[in-house]
Amino acid sequence: MENPEQLIRKGVHHDGLKEGLVKAFLGSLTWGIVIVALLLFGRICWDGVPVLVKPDFPFIDVAFLTEKTETLHVFDDANAERHSLPASEYYQWVDEHGADAVFNAQTYSYSGGGIAGPIVGTALLTLLSIILALFFGVAAAIYLSEYAKQGRFINLVRLAILNLAGVPSIVFGLFGFAVFVLVAPVFTDVPSDRSLFAIPLGFTWLSFQGWNSSLIAGSATLACMMLPVIITASEESLRAVPQGFREASLALGATRWHTIRKCVLPFAMPGILTSSVLSLARAAGETAPIMFTAAVAAKDDFPWEGVSGPLGVLQSQVQALPYHIYTLAARIPTSEYTQRAQYGSVFVFLLMIFMFSTLSIVLRNRVRSKLKW
Amino acid sequence: MSDSSSSSTVPAGHPFRRKGRGTDGLFKAFFAGNAGLTVVILVLIIVFLVREGAGFFPAYRGELELYRKAGLEFVDIARKDLTAHEQMSSLLNRAYYAQVNAACRREFQRSQEATQVVGYIDDAVAPPRSALERVTEGAGEEGAPAELLKSLNARYQSLLADALAGRPGKGLPPTPHLSDEERAGLLQELGAREPLSTDEPALVIALQEQLAAKQADASEPLAGFRETINAFASASEDLDNLIYETGESVKATKEAATLHEIEVTKRDTLLAAVPGTKGAEERAQLEADAKAAVTTEPVDYRAALQPVLGRMGEFEAANARLAAALGEVKAALPSDLADEKAQRYLATFRKAEDEYGRELADTMPKMQAWDFEKPVGLGATISGFITGRDWITGGEWQDFYGIVPLFVGSLIIALIALSLAIPLGVGAAIYTNQLAGGRQQRFIKPTIEFLQAIPSVVLGFLGIAVLGTLLQETSMKDSFAWVPGFPIEQRLNMFTAGCLLGLMAIPTIFSLSEDALNNVPSAFAEASDALGASKLQTVFRVVCPAAISGILAAVLLGLGRVIGETMVVLLVAGNRIEIPDFTEGLGVFFQPAHTLTGIIAQELGEVPFGSVHYRALFVVGMVLFFIVLAINWSAQRLLHRFRIGQD
Repeated sequence: MENPEQLIRKGVHHDGLKEGLVKAFLGSLTWGIVIVALLLFGRICWDGVPVLVKPDFPFIDVAFLTEKTETLHVFDDANAERHSLPASEYYQWVDEHGADAVFNAQTYSYSGGGIAGPIVGTALLTLLSIILALFFGVAAAIYLSEYAKQGRFINLVRLAILNLAGVPSIVFGLFGFAVFVLVAPVFTDVPSDRSLFAIPLGFTWLSFQGWNSSLIAGSATLACMMLPVIITASEESLRAVPQGFREASLALGATRWHTIRKCVLPFAMPGILTSSVLSLARAAGETAPIMFTAAVAAKDDFPWEGVSGPLGVLQSQVQALPYHIYTLAARIPTSEYTQRAQYGSVFVFLLMIFMFSTLSIVLRNRVRSKLKW
Repeated sequence: MSDSSSSSTVPAGHPFRRKGRGTDGLFKAFFAGNAGLTVVILVLIIVFLVREGAGFFPAYRGELELYRKAGLEFVDIARKDLTAHEQMSSLLNRAYYAQVNAACRREFQRSQEATQVVGYIDDAVAPPRSALERVTEGAGEEGAPAELLKSLNARYQSLLADALAGRPGKGLPPTPHLSDEERAGLLQELGAREPLSTDEPALVIALQEQLAAKQADASEPLAGFRETINAFASASEDLDNLIYETGESVKATKEAATLHEIEVTKRDTLLAAVPGTKGAEERAQLEADAKAAVTTEPVDYRAALQPVLGRMGEFEAANARLAAALGEVKAALPSDLADEKAQRYLATFRKAEDEYGRELADTMPKMQAWDFEKPVGLGATISGFITGRDWITGGEWQDFYGIVPLFVGSLIIALIALSLAIPLGVGAAIYTNQLAGGRQQRFIKPTIEFLQAIPSVVLGFLGIAVLGTLLQETSMKDSFAWVPGFPIEQRLNMFTAGCLLGLMAIPTIFSLSEDALNNVPSAFAEASDALGASKLQTVFRVVCPAAISGILAAVLLGLGRVIGETMVVLLVAGNRIEIPDFTEGLGVFFQPAHTLTGIIAQELGEVPFGSVHYRALFVVGMVLFFIVLAINWSAQRLLHRFRIGQD
């Protein structure tokens, strides 16, 4: 016996060919996208893997990850052998052989050495911004899901979240520049001339003169950008906790805050953290917001070197991996000598982003299968 | 669960029971404050964009007023004719060269290919060659050390052999238009060349001669046309000189006025500090300084303008000469040109003739009616910003802030991106959601999600390093010569940027459309099936129309993302601040452009804090913010209004 449904279909319609054609057409579109995505990834791996991998132990070019960025010097020696050395080694070489032995010298900025500075900068920026965004975002989500009742305020907040999510990243950059870099308040003994206004506190001044381009200004800008995503995701996780938990706790006489702390947050936390990993990846990938608020192209030392205490770290500018890639792509012509820095940075960066993304997907699946009620 | 249930049995008299009720209000206020933070941020964004941008229009108005008073505007009225004339003659020149080059395309390619081969070899042997040069030059009387020369020569020979075999880089460039003997002969000659010789190989010279001869051949029947063009082009000489001379004069006026203003500001600052001083000596010092600060007289604009306005007669004569040249060229132009591209340029010229004539006729009345004392209104300043066709900054003549070129660039790029992303994204969503099996779904969805995770700066880098070059090389191939705009002149152009942005918009459109399709109640499809509709009928007549509002919202959100994207357009769009040349037809897509987002990213880091330019960038940011806000808002409205069948 044939399947009756198939029989009916066959009996009524004869356009199997048409259906097949449409399906093949749409399918080819879809697989076209997939193939383009894979090609992109493949191309970066093809050029990036050789930078990072070497044939002998430990198989990974650790120097590229742990050395600071330097200018690359390319030159020929007297035997017309080509050398390409980062600045520090180059000067050693010149000391040994004399400046006369250098022919056809060329320099490529930012292309020698490794990318330790940008990696550290990106790590600090993302870490700090995720801490800020999680603190404010989760608190806002708790209000939205646990305390709020329908009303004008809540509508306003939802509207703001919706609109904030769509604001272009470059506008966040402008905002961060105008607010955090130029007018955010600082304690200082000598208020600067361009301070918006300064409040005398007796022993010192609270001056609204901004944080300058610094780690903290960049992180605050990124945090503002991530806030809507974190709030939405956290609220979803909080709402996923069954209502019964809260009712049981309240019925036992616990206060609202006690209920939230003991009976809601612990069960929502895995979900919140998972979604925050995804926003971590997004924050790490953004360039436009940190261009004017935190990032510099060249920096000789790590953020914690030559500063006084943790506050000094917050006030220092940092290199960042996406900005480093922008500099390499925009200001330096592609050549065989810059390829190592360019493709290497891009590959490491993509690897980082994909690690975060995969982590969040795996975590999400685990959380979903574990916390079921 | 068991832990928390046992710990939440709060005994009577426990602190939580008594105090908790009181502090609960505090907790609530804390959380509400954090929720309010989003509103605060949104308000802060608007307030600070407006605060930094608000000063723009008055300051720009002041600049424009000076522009008028000093007479720069007067000169620019005449200059407009000059620019229009240049464009017209460039059209004719392009038509001419298109016609000539069409005839000798093959010769041109042959010559180019041979030159490329020579260039490849030269590049490969460059290091030892230039080292040899330096050694022999610096050697002086006693000659270079033989050891060094020998090693360099050996190195040269080995590199040369490598290069002739095509080993370094991408290998020897292909020479499809050269015969095998020619190629072999060329390589042989290059191989036998002295290390220090820079003579062109015989074949290259011969090919160049052939090209020149062919060009001469092709231009012979066009000699009359050439002469017409030259006559037309030279008609602007008078105006050119006149504008140069008067331009210098008004520029000096403007500089004097600016200097005076700076000095007055300095004096006022010094005088403002006087009341705050303590000693009489200090006060006297400050007052003396203030007096000394102003060294120039205020500019008498009327007197300064007199010599310029006095040359009105000369302007009139120059204008008449241009008009006469236009009349002559109209009569003398050939009616048709054989080459298609040349014909198009000619047709564009014909179309523009009348407008150009009208513009010439308009100029003199405009110049006579021009009055340097007429004030510049704020409305005129604002409309000058919105409809201004120039964004010129950092020049010594006059800065203009017109948003049109940036807006057009953003718009065209968004158009290209969406025309790629809509069919691909929506098609993929329909396929994945309705037609594909579970296995395919499990592969397609995560891959497209990964595409979304690629940071835009990486895509921009790929655009520069891979896609731009790939497109340009493809466009050079003969088989693609029919595509409008090919071969591409600029590696970085709007099309490259549009492709990459399309790639960025695909995941957004895909996942949101897929959600929309998912949200269509299954009863719809079941009812359609029950009525005997085929699968395709169900998908395209029932499910898709039901999800159309969601799909439209997805497209709008994709548009918002494309307009607001910065890094890709900054890196790949070519950053030429000009309204694209629409006479190229569809080739307009292959021109470079600048965008609203790109200009902010590129210029904010370089402008002095608080300057007009700085404020202009914030106004651009404001425009961008409100455009994207409007797009997102309409997407939300769409979602709410047409929500079907959801409980």
